[in-house]
Amino acid sequence: MAKWGMVIDLEKCTGCQACSTACAMENNTLPGESWQDVLYYKEGKYPNVNIKWFPRPCMHCENPSCMHVCPTKATYKDENGFVLIDWNKCIGCKYCMIACPYGVRFYTDEKPLIEPDMKKVYPGQDGQQYSPPYQNPNSDWTKGVGIQPKGVVSKCTFCYHKVSKAPAGVADLDEDNPALKEYVPACVRTCAPKARYFGDLDNPDSTVNRLIADKRGVRLLEHTGNKPQVYYLGDHGVVPAFTRPDKS
Amino acid sequence: MDILKSLITRRRFLQASGAAGAAGAAGLGAAGTFTTLKKAEAAPASSGGTTTITKSICHQCPARCGIDVYTTNGRVHAIYGNSDHPIANGKLCPKGHLGTFILYDPDRFKGPMKRTNPKKGRNEDPGFVPISWDEALGTIAGRLQNLRDKGESHRFALFYGRGWGASCAGLQGTFGKLYGSPNVAIGHASMCSEGSKRAKQATDGNDSYNAYDYRNTNYLLIFGAGFLEAFRPYNYLMQMWGHMRTKSPRTTVTVVDVHANTTTAAADRALYIKPGTDGAMALAIAHVMLTEGLWNKEFVGDFKDGDNLFRTGQHIPAGSFAEKWTSGLETWWNEELKDRTPEWAEKITSIPAKYIRDVAREFGSTRPAMAIMERGPTAHTNGTYNGMAIHALNALSGALFAEGGLHYQMGPSYGSMPVSADDYMDDWAKSGAWKSLPRIDMAKTERWPTAGTMMQEAGPNHLKGDPYKLDTAMFYLTNPIFTAPNGQVWEEAMKDVFVIDTSPYGAETAMYADIIVPDHTYLERLQDAPTYPFEGWPMAQLRVPAVKPVHDTKVYGDILIEIGKRMKGPMADYYKAIDSTENVLRHLAKGFEKDPGDNGVNGFESWKEKGVWYKKPYHWRQWRGDFYEWDGKGYNKKMTADEVKAKLIKTASGKFEFKSAFIEKHADNFSQKLGIPAERIGLIQWVPPKHTGGGDLHFVTPKTAMHAEGRGANLPHAIAYQQPMHGGNRTVYLEIHPDTARKRGIRNGDKVKIKSSVGSIEAYCKYFEGTRPDTVVMPFEHGHWSTLTRWTQNRGSGHSGHLTENVSDPISGLACYYTGTVTVERA
Repeated sequence: MAKWGMVIDLEKCTGCQACSTACAMENNTLPGESWQDVLYYKEGKYPNVNIKWFPRPCMHCENPSCMHVCPTKATYKDENGFVLIDWNKCIGCKYCMIACPYGVRFYTDEKPLIEPDMKKVYPGQDGQQYSPPYQNPNSDWTKGVGIQPKGVVSKCTFCYHKVSKAPAGVADLDEDNPALKEYVPACVRTCAPKARYFGDLDNPDSTVNRLIADKRGVRLLEHTGNKPQVYYLGDHGVVPAFTRPDKS
Repeated sequence: MDILKSLITRRRFLQASGAAGAAGAAGLGAAGTFTTLKKAEAAPASSGGTTTITKSICHQCPARCGIDVYTTNGRVHAIYGNSDHPIANGKLCPKGHLGTFILYDPDRFKGPMKRTNPKKGRNEDPGFVPISWDEALGTIAGRLQNLRDKGESHRFALFYGRGWGASCAGLQGTFGKLYGSPNVAIGHASMCSEGSKRAKQATDGNDSYNAYDYRNTNYLLIFGAGFLEAFRPYNYLMQMWGHMRTKSPRTTVTVVDVHANTTTAAADRALYIKPGTDGAMALAIAHVMLTEGLWNKEFVGDFKDGDNLFRTGQHIPAGSFAEKWTSGLETWWNEELKDRTPEWAEKITSIPAKYIRDVAREFGSTRPAMAIMERGPTAHTNGTYNGMAIHALNALSGALFAEGGLHYQMGPSYGSMPVSADDYMDDWAKSGAWKSLPRIDMAKTERWPTAGTMMQEAGPNHLKGDPYKLDTAMFYLTNPIFTAPNGQVWEEAMKDVFVIDTSPYGAETAMYADIIVPDHTYLERLQDAPTYPFEGWPMAQLRVPAVKPVHDTKVYGDILIEIGKRMKGPMADYYKAIDSTENVLRHLAKGFEKDPGDNGVNGFESWKEKGVWYKKPYHWRQWRGDFYEWDGKGYNKKMTADEVKAKLIKTASGKFEFKSAFIEKHADNFSQKLGIPAERIGLIQWVPPKHTGGGDLHFVTPKTAMHAEGRGANLPHAIAYQQPMHGGNRTVYLEIHPDTARKRGIRNGDKVKIKSSVGSIEAYCKYFEGTRPDTVVMPFEHGHWSTLTRWTQNRGSGHSGHLTENVSDPISGLACYYTGTVTVERA
């Protein structure tokens, strides 16, 4: 049993979105279905301007509000800390999307972000909402892994199909360790400045725990009581206030 | 029935949980819907098939990152960085992962085709019909043979962009030599980044981009290089960023650019400079470094009596300074630098003098410190001078060839080609009339004496018939009909040229093509790609096919070889002896038998298995003003001045030249074009830019992190992430300062018309406080007008290049993409 968690060091993050595209191709999501999105904020007046960015996966909360509101128990917390959706149970009611304080859930049955619609270019087969020719062979609808059917909510699984196969008792899934790299979530594995770490929050020897302690890790929106298992480091670690550019 | 389908889908959970579901399904009996559901539920929890990992090389920018291509059941489904590749180190940039889509892009050409509609233009459907490879190659060879027989072989031009290695672009020069055309091949460097190369050639004698030792540097001064967006190798730069920003001591970064971007935001200090004036700032930094005694005395030298005589506005006495590895410092100071104060530079650059002084003091007192640049300062009429002034800072800081400094790239230990082309030259090849003709782009003539290539001139020159008319043009990984400055002229020019396109995708060149001979995409290719300047030590990557070709395509190198085989005379014999790109690669790899790489690669098979041959370390190092060569164990062999000149500082003087002999060689030519007295022409100096376009706002068109060198325009996922900080996920926006916009009655999000002297486009704007009020910024990305690719169309913004006048830096030949001005109004 592990309690998998992620640490994102915003001091090292360059805002490049490789996490987003690695996730999109690993999990075959649609454009705009950004399970791993990066948000950008602009502050200040010329010439004193700052841009901040904030990579945002599912927080895999200890106490997930999405799970509590799910009328069909489709969303559940697994014994190793993953928050997952059983697509066989999901009815696409979107309660969870409203309940999630972090905005990390997606419903793709509506107007596509990019036209022409990839769902029309690659019509769904075997119940999938779309079936592109490049598909991850891993698929498990009871865990929300793979390409979803129509009418369900999707989100980041912490790359359940990789992490769940990791050897038992490992403190950290470090992509620099050749024996472990295949078990590392796509976003962590590809992060060029190594701004991401993935490990067992219950293991006192893990690097993630060390970083959270040394570099004063914070969790997003603590007041909600959701207790995310994703921690942020660095001075960008709070989402800045957003001012609409035409109201500034 | 649709409603029922939808209903049953929404009730999948009931079925999964038992009786209620069975009852619900029973209502539909044995309808097809139910079967589908069963199948879908049965599908999960599987991972069928064996997954293989092929080592290959990415293709979406010049960097050449090693990639692991994951293939299961004959389908590529994932790409990750190769952990054993020195650039990638297991990582990728955001573009790298999208290669799977490039392979399976539904708009790829499925095989060779010919045009049936003789009319060419934006709205003309080419009317392509499929043909066989034999017909396609036969048509091309017949056409080339006919030209040659008429004594007009010079009227065939081959244009190329991202040439990778000996097995593709490396074959072109030989083709031109055997066939007999000065226009085979014309590269795209003058529409890329030639300015920084020429600045380095003019000062330290190396016609090259630099290799950099970021790992050990403590100060980075970045002028308009888009370090965290578009500089290369981007993936590696980000790895180094993570290292530099957390090492002890932390590397300090100052970024000079015209707008806020991720690089300025992540840096310690951002300075927003007036476009085209970076050279003035660099000169002022040099002025402060000298007056305050902050130059590297071990590299540059010192005053003979030890007292610093550099005082603002005052000459230093002749012969008072003893230079070591530089030359011309005394003249440079007395004739230029003594008056280039921060206060002077403030008036030109708009950067407050105190910040320039702060930067100069930091840069001058931190070691190692390096200044880097790319198109921001150099894509202007004064680009080479801007670049020289910036590169002079690397001489003053002593960063050249030092640890934590700048180097140049070594080449790989390749074996020789199967046969030598010199043995296959007929009389026409040896001494035909073509030999005395200039290139169509007039590069290396009095018009552009120091430009290696001038692709942007080829279209306009053909249109004018000056120096002559082309007959046939072939394109490889370049699309100047779209990308050239004022590409509209090319649209006219290519109408009466027989166009051969080799791209697997239908871009604008394909719209004009008479024949399409589609290349493989990179995941299907066997192709070498020696490294772009990286860390200096030699490296040669290899693309290895991850899957069999998805369509009826042929690797470009083989297309050239097959055309060659169909020519008459000894040229055909040469290509029969060359045989194929694979044969070429096998011969190249023989060089590794004698010189195995650090990863054990010692021939063709092991090269294919690992995807890369490399050999550390870099062979030279400057240490405290002395140069040393690697002797197998360490940097132990001290080099003589002659050895340094032969191997490292390749100028006429063998020193870093503040007064450039390279430029002085063409003093009269440049003097006339730039209005600088011939006796001053070689000095690193401030030359004001000449802005084009006739507008009142500077127009700068950077590339974004997602810009995949033209292979990204049809990628839906790339489009979705294109310009994230302004919400650009369907289009790209024009960044405009709110005050600038309001003065013109433009609201945030309005559609605007952007006009210059050569064109007019529309785009949506976004207010941004991070853009200079005298400048607007719009990424070079969308505005494609080809109708052959579905996602490139109707992206909501025009193409920036349609506003760019075709004006180039007279020294480097670099097209001045960033020196234009425009007017902006509500559309």
